[in-house]
Amino acid sequence: MPLKPMHPARGLPTRRIQWLALAALALGCVGLDPGWLLGAFTLALVLVAALKLLEARDRRGRRLVALLQLVCCGLQAAQQPDLLPSLLQLLAAVLALAGLLQLESGQSLPLGLVLRRSLRVLGAALPMALVLFLLVPRVGPFGTSTAGPTGRASTGLSDTLDPGGIASLVDEDSPAARVAFSDDEPPPTGGRYWRVLVHSQFDGSRWQRDEDAEQTPRFPADVSAMAEVPGQPERDQVWLVEPSAFSAVPWDGAARPLSTRLHPEPEGELRLLRPALERRSYRLKELASPLGWQRQPPRRSDLQLPPTANPRLRELGRRWSQLGGPEARVLAAQAWFQSQNFRYDRNPGTLPQVNGLDAFLFERQLGFCGHYASSFSALMRAAGVPSRVVSGYLGGEWVVPMGGAPYLALRQSDAHAWSEVWLPKRGWTRVDPSVWANGTSGENLADRLGGAPTGNASTQQGWRWLQRQWWGLDMAWSRWWLGFDQSRQEALLAWLLGSQRWALGSLILGGMALGLGGALVMLRRDRQPPGDRQARAMAELLNQLRRLKIEARPGETLESLAERAGARYPALADPLQELMACHREQRFAPPATDRQAQRKLQQRWRLARRRLMSRNKGAIRQKS
Amino acid sequence: MQFGWPESWGRAQRGEQLQLGMRNLYILPTGFGILWLAGSALLQAVGIQTQRNGPLLLSFLMLGLMLLALHLTHFNLQGLVLRCGRPKPGFADETLLYPIRLQSSCQRQAIALQLAQGDPAFPRRLAAGSSCVGLAWQCRHRGQQTPGALLIRSTSPLGLFVCWTRWTPPVTQLVYPARRDGPVAVTSSAPADDSAACKVTPGHNGSDDWHDLRPHRLEDGQSRVAWKVLAQGRGRHSKVFSDPVEAPPLLLPAPGIPRERALEHLSAEVWRRSLRGEMFGLVLPEVRITPGHGHDHRDRCLMALASCP
Repeated sequence: MPLKPMHPARGLPTRRIQWLALAALALGCVGLDPGWLLGAFTLALVLVAALKLLEARDRRGRRLVALLQLVCCGLQAAQQPDLLPSLLQLLAAVLALAGLLQLESGQSLPLGLVLRRSLRVLGAALPMALVLFLLVPRVGPFGTSTAGPTGRASTGLSDTLDPGGIASLVDEDSPAARVAFSDDEPPPTGGRYWRVLVHSQFDGSRWQRDEDAEQTPRFPADVSAMAEVPGQPERDQVWLVEPSAFSAVPWDGAARPLSTRLHPEPEGELRLLRPALERRSYRLKELASPLGWQRQPPRRSDLQLPPTANPRLRELGRRWSQLGGPEARVLAAQAWFQSQNFRYDRNPGTLPQVNGLDAFLFERQLGFCGHYASSFSALMRAAGVPSRVVSGYLGGEWVVPMGGAPYLALRQSDAHAWSEVWLPKRGWTRVDPSVWANGTSGENLADRLGGAPTGNASTQQGWRWLQRQWWGLDMAWSRWWLGFDQSRQEALLAWLLGSQRWALGSLILGGMALGLGGALVMLRRDRQPPGDRQARAMAELLNQLRRLKIEARPGETLESLAERAGARYPALADPLQELMACHREQRFAPPATDRQAQRKLQQRWRLARRRLMSRNKGAIRQKS
Repeated sequence: MQFGWPESWGRAQRGEQLQLGMRNLYILPTGFGILWLAGSALLQAVGIQTQRNGPLLLSFLMLGLMLLALHLTHFNLQGLVLRCGRPKPGFADETLLYPIRLQSSCQRQAIALQLAQGDPAFPRRLAAGSSCVGLAWQCRHRGQQTPGALLIRSTSPLGLFVCWTRWTPPVTQLVYPARRDGPVAVTSSAPADDSAACKVTPGHNGSDDWHDLRPHRLEDGQSRVAWKVLAQGRGRHSKVFSDPVEAPPLLLPAPGIPRERALEHLSAEVWRRSLRGEMFGLVLPEVRITPGHGHDHRDRCLMALASCP
């Protein structure tokens, strides 16, 4: 045996794969917000990894680059959990691991081979990671900070509703939110009111939110109410909300939050304690019974009206206050609105700064939802009924994509405002005075609010179709991936262990041991030499004959074995002869240089094997 | 050269053969492995703080990879059999190759073999089956030498753990004195009173006086070809001269030079004369090698120099 000096390639493998991983990370940085501490840290870390890769001359430096790349993947995943960024992060992680594997192998291997190896190693470690991910109890955040992205533009609702100052509504077709339901059934069309902001402060022309609305939540999160009860037929809602300026997020007002970060406020806002300027997701569980906010008694401020503004409005309200109860006053208002010539218009022009609502109610009678909600709520206050204005979204488009989950898409153009009045027997009750304009009904109001499409319609339709398909996949991903939170984990543990929580440690250890065992078996098999394919195929054939009680005798040739088997089971004679011919050709004929010829030969073998197996069954039946 | 930490830790194995297994392999996390854990902890903290699944899963994945790497790194060495080969002699202060036979039932990635007195190790891949590698090392002293401890280590596949063992192969390698040019004493191999060896024998004047012919061999050179005989068509023959040939020299350590240095000069001289195909002998205090030539003669002389007391 020749003596080889121990001088393998001394240079480190090429940096190509590590540069590719950095490229994937750089792409993933596109959506990051450098104004947020985490975003800035991630960007800085990617830059440091690139500089280190340029500078690294030894194995230690290159290892550090791989680790930095993996950490950057994790940081990006914390900021961009959507489907597309997640795919990019997965690619970057696979490449980072491939770079490390190549570095440790000490060889510059082909990209495909290294990627396959990286995927195998990741796949081997994944079961263990999943055991830990699914079973290790989740810890809550170390604080309730809602610090997050700061520089991203936001669209949508405003915390001040001043319809008189708006001459015309601009159609804003950008997405606002998406919601999917666990039973994939759309909500009833008339009930698609998604509340976001509650405006209780009225100064005569504008409705504003409470000043402390963005401060610390006033209702503590009820953790016990969040535990899911297995088998209970309540359906889930999974929401994905685009960045906005508020911590308040859309909901129907009747669902139960499934996270300690979701707080239903006393006035009926649902606040999510996450950075508002990032894309947020949350889960709700629909309830038949009303939540606490609906029964929250009104405050004095819910009846406040400026003493001098809009005298005609106050006079009309005062007249209704003589009626029996709040319900009668609401009905009187409805009758009055419907008796007048109110028309819905998205371009009504501005109202006078002084007594603007008087001008709307008694002179112009032309406006959009903000005008109706604002003036109706003011009228109710004048009539002694606590009221307020709620802004949110109405309607939404039910989308059933080709792949992924069906969902309801809300756009900024679905923004809407309505009123809420306090009825002692029913609590806070929604009244939408916009539907009284010209006698329209709530079912088609959403269509009317949608406005006309802008730009090239066909191009926009095509683009929108693609966008919907993608969103469908994204929604499915969000339901599955973002939806696995503390409450889902609790439900899983309850299903697995019931009340035997003490067994959780053993379960985790057992799962890890199984995962590790499987991974090692898989990876050790890869290390075995490939062996002789023909020898393996022949061994399988001999095993098959052995099951028919035909054993090869010492020194017996394959041909005589085949003849003997054929004599005993005549049905097998033909396929056996064919198999022997194939074997002879594969073993002893000059090797076929043509790949197609090799493939044909293998195909002949497979066909003959299949024939043998089908006849084999017949032979066994005959024998029995 | 000594191995660094943690490779210097643990008992060195002995014997002509070593099978690596649970009893003789050590494994510890590398510095990179500890950084890896820190990275995983950082992602865990980010995942908890942002309540995102991505960093949490990646953090657990890194932990899983670490657990997997612990076993894979160990398996990469476990079962490997090392045997001493028969080392060929070499010169001191020059690179020597120490043969190690490796037997593996599976292919192994990035295994580094490094002798304590050898060059830094670079990991290499081992195919399944038997192979033989020569480990380069240098020795400053002549004689039968062992290369000292051999470190067998691997950090494959992820560099998170270092698995190692140390083995002291017992088979010695013969090391000749270093080849260093310098003065060498030379004396004639003829007896001292035979000063007439240089004398011209009667009847044999000059190089033209040949007394016989023999079939020509290449090593006889052109000068000995009997051209006249060739011209007569009797074939190519060489002349056999009866000239008195000068007695082959005997090499001795030069006087007045430290003994080891003198042996090194002799080593270089023996090598040089052997390359030229000259005949020479060697005289050492306890050994006298009669003049001769050829590789065997050279090796005999060098061995005598290596083992000279």
